[in-house]
Amino acid sequence: MAHGADGGDGARVWQHVFLLPEYLKDASKKMKSGLVFVKLANPCSGEGTIYLFNMCLPQLFEIKVFKEKNHSWFINESVQSGGLLHFATPMDPLFLLLYYLIKADKEGKFQPLDQVVMDAMFPDCILLLKLPELEKLLRHVTEEKVNPEIDKKKYYKYSKEKTLKWLEKKVNQTVAALKTNKVNVSARVQSTAFFSGGQVSSDKDEDYVHYAHGLISDYIPKQLSDDLSKYLKLPEPPASVRNPPSKKAKLSDEPVNAKEDYTKFNSKDIKTVKKNSKMTAAQKALAKVDKSGMKSIDSFFGAKHEKKIGKIR
Amino acid sequence: MENSYEETIDKRRVHLRPDTLRDPARVSLHLLPCEVRVNRPTPVGRFFTPAIRQGPDGLEVSFRGRSLRGEEVVVPPGFVGYVMTEGKAEVLAGKQEDQEREEQQLVEPPEALERDCDRFMGATASFSSFTVWGLESIPGPDAKLRGALSWPRLAAAIHAQVPED
Repeated sequence: MAHGADGGDGARVWQHVFLLPEYLKDASKKMKSGLVFVKLANPCSGEGTIYLFNMCLPQLFEIKVFKEKNHSWFINESVQSGGLLHFATPMDPLFLLLYYLIKADKEGKFQPLDQVVMDAMFPDCILLLKLPELEKLLRHVTEEKVNPEIDKKKYYKYSKEKTLKWLEKKVNQTVAALKTNKVNVSARVQSTAFFSGGQVSSDKDEDYVHYAHGLISDYIPKQLSDDLSKYLKLPEPPASVRNPPSKKAKLSDEPVNAKEDYTKFNSKDIKTVKKNSKMTAAQKALAKVDKSGMKSIDSFFGAKHEKKIGKIR
Repeated sequence: MENSYEETIDKRRVHLRPDTLRDPARVSLHLLPCEVRVNRPTPVGRFFTPAIRQGPDGLEVSFRGRSLRGEEVVVPPGFVGYVMTEGKAEVLAGKQEDQEREEQQLVEPPEALERDCDRFMGATASFSSFTVWGLESIPGPDAKLRGALSWPRLAAAIHAQVPED
């Protein structure tokens, strides 16, 4: 329920503070209903996560919550515990579709999409099938087949090669945004001791790539994130990858001064490093660098998804 | 068969009423650097707001005898802030004058709301800026909140469609 679970005796109406894209306000003029909070499988963790779905457009929004210890709101003439700030930002539905495509790929065959995107736990995933221009989206990550003799239906199969290419573009796109928003990026980066060792003004590019890789990794399964990190340092990468691998290796000479709060976001990576004992020296170096570059989206918000779900629902 | 399936899905859904987003009243919003463990009406306008002063470095006020420093923070460009509550559709469509009545209805036992299989959220107020407070000093540029507020621009880049080959 919306009532404060931990709010004590005084808990009454739970008020949620939200930031929504402005155009939802305009779009709302034309619709009577159609904005729905639904629980879908998080493509990174597989756990149920709340998303906002605009049935009219249709369009998918991700919900992130800013939560820091010891905060509360004064909302007009009332007090609201927790101090949570929710963000609804547009989300690329391909990340969610990819989760199912990868799962279905174990069967190793071409399948129609409605057989791929099925989930007993999160039946709302069928909403994803209503999204516009699905075929165009899926071209980025799948091979497709049409069997004109039986029906006009399209059959899809996950393609790791295409997916990595697509993710690389995502990384580059994110790197560009990190650079454009320079002020904010550098401020935040300082706060996480990310650009440690005084290398702020030089050799930034590979740091940006690692940073962006970390951001994107929050939307893809761990295995794919690892594959992407290897892919991004291939000896002969496509032209769009900015940095030769030798430059990245150099990064490992930098001291990795991670602050407390920030190592915990990377505990997963540390585990992987231990598990994967067959890594070459260069890979180990990269893994080490990755650790400093990894930027989990949760670090913007200081909260796990699960927490806010209870509050919304 | 088809219908009952649809119903099961709807049970998991919380609807956000678009009509409530159109023109909700403006709200005055303060983010405090302390946890107040209740959710309830409180006389902010009597004790807190009148005590706010413009000091040499930002706004000054005190809460529970502690000195707070704060400043106005605007919501990220392209975004609107809303305060939302869960409740019945018709209640949420109500005007601000009805807020008291609204709150009465909203504190109804949860079963009353869950009897309808759909649940509803709606905006009761909107904002384009709020005041963020720190204990004795203004939350600096390294504050987590600042990072969070820059998130929408990064998210836009992460989720923008990429060109096809």
